[in-house]
Formats: sequence, C-alpha cells, structure tokens
Amino acid sequence: MALSTIVSQRKQIKRKAPRGFLKRVFKRKKPQLRLEKSGDLLVRFHPFSGWEWGTGEVHLNCLLFVHRLAEESRTNACASKCRVINKEHVLAAAKKSRG
Amino acid sequence: MADHNPDSDSTPRTLLRRVLDTADPRTPRRPRSARAGARRALLETASPRKLSGQTRTIARGRSHGARSVGRSAHIQASGHLEEQTPRTLLKNILLTAPESSILMPESVVKPVPAPQAVQPSRQESSCGSLELQLPELEPPTTLAPGLLAPGRRKQRLRLSVFQQGVDQGLSLSQEPQGNADASSLTRSLNLTFATPLQPQSVQRPGLARRPPARRAVDVGAFLRDLRDTSLAPPNIVLEDTQPFSQPMVGSPNVYHSLPCTPHTGAEDAEQAAGRKTQSSGPGLQKNSPGKPAQFLAGEAEEVNAFALGFLSTSSGVSGEDEVEPLHDGVEEAEKKMEEEGVSVSEMEATGAQGPSRVEEAEGHTEVTEAEGSQGTAEADGPGASSGDEDASGRAASPESASSTPESLQARRHHQFLEPAPAPGAAVLSSEPAEPLLVRHPPRPRTTGPRPRQDPHKAGLSHYVKLFSFYAKMPMERKALEMVEKCLDKYFQHLCDGLEVFAAHAGRKTVKPEDLELLMRRQGLVTDQVSLHVLVERHLPLEYRQLLIPCAYSGNSVFPAQ
Repeated sequence: MALSTIVSQRKQIKRKAPRGFLKRVFKRKKPQLRLEKSGDLLVRFHPFSGWEWGTGEVHLNCLLFVHRLAEESRTNACASKCRVINKEHVLAAAKKSRG
Repeated sequence: MADHNPDSDSTPRTLLRRVLDTADPRTPRRPRSARAGARRALLETASPRKLSGQTRTIARGRSHGARSVGRSAHIQASGHLEEQTPRTLLKNILLTAPESSILMPESVVKPVPAPQAVQPSRQESSCGSLELQLPELEPPTTLAPGLLAPGRRKQRLRLSVFQQGVDQGLSLSQEPQGNADASSLTRSLNLTFATPLQPQSVQRPGLARRPPARRAVDVGAFLRDLRDTSLAPPNIVLEDTQPFSQPMVGSPNVYHSLPCTPHTGAEDAEQAAGRKTQSSGPGLQKNSPGKPAQFLAGEAEEVNAFALGFLSTSSGVSGEDEVEPLHDGVEEAEKKMEEEGVSVSEMEATGAQGPSRVEEAEGHTEVTEAEGSQGTAEADGPGASSGDEDASGRAASPESASSTPESLQARRHHQFLEPAPAPGAAVLSSEPAEPLLVRHPPRPRTTGPRPRQDPHKAGLSHYVKLFSFYAKMPMERKALEMVEKCLDKYFQHLCDGLEVFAAHAGRKTVKPEDLELLMRRQGLVTDQVSLHVLVERHLPLEYRQLLIPCAYSGNSVFPAQ
C-alpha cells in the first residue's frame, strides 16, 4: 500500500470516534452508570444512529489527552536528542500529567 | 535578409534615414563635413523616393542621378562615414541599393586617391555586405574600429579585401546593375585573397558561420565517444537497482539520436536496422565496438543506432527488474494491512463476553490481555489463534504473554515504520521478521476472554495510532505499549471522575456537563478556552454539529438544550 493511502486510512480512523469502544469501556468500568442522554438527539436530523453526545465529548477528552501525551513525550524525546520516542519518554510524560 | 530586402529595406531604411537626418553628425576629424552634408542631401533625395514605396531599381535610378551629380561627395561622405561607426553602418544599410551603382564612380575614383578611395570602396563593399546579411555586420564593425584609427591602412586593406570578397559574392549573386567596373575591380582585388567560404555563406546567409564540412568530423568523433561511453553505461544500468536510472540512461540516447537522424537517409535505414535488432540487445553491444573500426561515417551511425537500441533495451529490462521487487514489496505491505484489518474485524465480531471476567482480571491481567489482544490485532495470518493464545495464557504466564505481544508489536512497529522509511527496505526487513514472529506465540489457549479484550484493544489501538500521529516521530514498540497503559489508566480516571461528578449532581447518568467539569478540572477547558472551542478545534464537522448547539430554520436549535 502506498504511503498516501496509509496516511489517509489513519486519518479516517482518527476522525471516527470509536463510540462502541468508548461505551464498552465505560460500561465495563462503571457498569452501574449510564453514559448519557442520547435519545432525543438520535431522533433528530442527523443520521447518526446510535451516536451519543456524551461519547463525542468523551472522545474529545481522549483525543486531547492523547494529544497532550504525545506532545509531552515528543518534547522529552527531543530533549534527550533521540530520533525515536522511547518508553521512558512516554513514561515521563504520563507521570507528569497523572502524578 | 536578402529575401526580405524589397520589403524590409523600405521600413528600416526610412527609419534609419530619418535617424541619420535628424541626428547631428559627429564632428569630423577630417574636413569632410561638407561632404557629409552633401551625402546627407543625397540621402534625403533618395529617401522621399523610398518613402513613396518605390522599388530598389527606382532608387537605384535615383541614386544613379545623384551619383552623377556628386560622385566626389559620395566618396568624401563615405570617407566621413568611416570615422563614425554606427553612422557608417546605418548609412551603409540605407544605401544598399544605390551603393551598387555608387560602386562605379567609387571604383573610378579609387585609383586616384589611394588611401581615401580604398576606404570608401571598403565602406561600400561593407554596405553591400550589410545589405545582404545581418550577420555580416561583424565585418563592418570590425572595419569601423580600424577605420576610426586614422593610421591603420593595412588593417583596412585586409578588411577591405575581406569585404570585397563578400562583395564579390554579392555582385555575383546580384544581377549587374551596370557595375561591371566595380565588379571587375572587386574581383581584381579578390584575386589576391581566396575566399572560398564566403560564397557559401552568401548563398546561405543563415548558415554563414556554419561550414557544413565540419559536421562529418564532429559526428565521427562524437560517435566514437558515444561508442566509448556506450560500453560504460550498461554496467551502471545493470548494477543500479533504482528504477529512476532509466530516464538518465534514456536521455543521452535521445540526444544521440537527434544529431543522427537529420544526416542522411542511410542513417535512417541503419537506425531502423538497429531497432529491429534491438531484441538481441546484448549482441548489439558486441557488434558495436567491432563495426566502427571497419567504416567511418556510415558505421558510426550504425554504432549510434545500435548503442541506442542496446541502452534502451538494457534500461528497460533493468527497470522492469527493479520495479518488480518494489511491486512485490508493496503488495506484501498491502497484504499485511489487509490481514491486520481482517484480524481486527474478526476480533470485534466475536463480541464482548464475560463482564465477570473483567471484574476478576481487572488488576494486572487486563494489562497483559490488552497487550496480547493488541498484539493479535496487529498480527496477520494466524492472528486469531495467537490472540486466543495470548488471552488464555494471561493467567498462566503473563511474562510469556507479554513477550509475544511485544514480538507482535515489533511486527506492528515494523508496519508502522514502513511509511516512514523507504517502503521497499522496510517491507523487506519486516518480511523476514514477521514469519518468525508468527511462529512464536504458543497455541494452547482458550478463546474466552479474547473477544472481551480485543475490542478494547482495538479501540485502544485507535488512540495509540492517534498518539503516534500526534507525536510525528518514530516510536518504539515499548513506547507504544506504554501509551496503551497510559490510556488504560486514563480511561479509568475518566470514568471515576465522571462517576463522581454525576453522583455529585445526584444523577446516575453522565451528562455533558459532567464532562465539561472534568475537562475544566483537567485544565483543558478554561475561562479563555471554552468547550465549544475545543470541539471546533479537534473534532470533525459532523461531531461539531452535534455537540455545539446551532440555530436552524424553523426556530429550532440543535442539539436541544
């Protein structure tokens, strides 16, 4: 597969929020909770069946988290003058954000 | 220029005459201003005739009359012209037609004043040369500096002879206009110097500087050089493994072919023969060094054609060979990606199972399971089996499970790295690695927890890919593992926080407000940066429409608030 297609695939995967996954994770983690209000939204204009508002925000949250983590790890890698992001870079970034 | 003389002479001639008339003459070093004025008067008399659009003959007639009036004036004016280079040139151009007639009186006057007559004759001859060809301007220009120096008679003599040689050709080409004397005089002068090339240049004004005799020699040497070089490049072509060498080899062939084709028809025949024999490419090369030794021009052309054919065929063959492995590599990469996708879909299709297992194994096994399932998600071919193995073996030997997912992740890392470096090299390197890795994961594992973890890993892998994309740098496999762990922890924290917020709000359903609170707590949402801003930044349009309330037609807001 050409480079371009690989990148485009990644982009498509990126844009789509794995709503099923998010819901599943949430249910697994906190089965007692329900994710959110979605019924009235689903009936509305958009053909997004089964899509939930909350998952979108959760997805946004995850996106932002991953983004921050990646940036931090990249900074760590550049600080150590490595061309490749190492495990310790990621660890350091995680520790920094999570404490 | 000679072809367009009747038409073009009128326009530039008139312009030049106007210029000369309007422009003030330079102060002559010689007391010939009067002559220059007389000459100008002559020009003026001739110019209206030209302006009326009469032919050269009429102008000549006019010039004849003018000539009869003031021959000495011509000579003197021409002498004056000698001093000024541009003016002389322009006047020479203007007086192309009458010059031919003027030549007569000049020739008559020539013997009287030796140096002066020679100069005007030279000038007139130079005019004649100018009349014929534009490239001939150089001789007059060469004349001018010599003329400007008053003491260089000898140089002028040589130049005059040169010019007269040109004029001889001119006079020969042009029909005599009563210039028998002039022509005879010029011929007499030309007798002293032989100018064989000049008539050729006169006949073909455009090719004045290109004697055709040169071509054969150059071609022969060129072809010999080509033959010498033809032996070298084939080695390079065969050795080079990059497909981009083809145009490099092909271009010199094109260049070689270009000079060959216009030569003669025999060349074309030889080239055709060479093309026919292209199929026997390597044989041609052997023939090529042998043949030129026998013949000269003809064989040289053959050699060129053969060399072209050989080089083209060799390049084509080598190019094909080079392209093939790249294609294979690309295909293999595609297969891997497809298999990966298939394995992922399979795992997801199997569905989630056993929430009880989740509660039991949440602690450490989840990590290993995550790793294992992720590794299986990336594996191609026996991905499902390896996933089963990993899932079943988690309780037994987390270490082995971690080792196998690491190896599998190494494979995936290879796949990740493929786009970054050259695809061929990466593919080649990953190809041998992957079949080895596939054999490693042990088989004896159940399929129980696999469906539960696989979708989890699939979703995590999505975020891991996002991570690698955001990082914009190559990452290690262990780094990706770390990312997965961090994501897991993050999800846990996320859910806990949402739970807390919802409970605080007295609800059992997590609402977006809780999420916003969470993000505010995280520092993502501040007073400056609102949630909507973040949504607009990071989410695609479809999600943005769903998240940010917008007013629609019919007095409705979506999503409802």
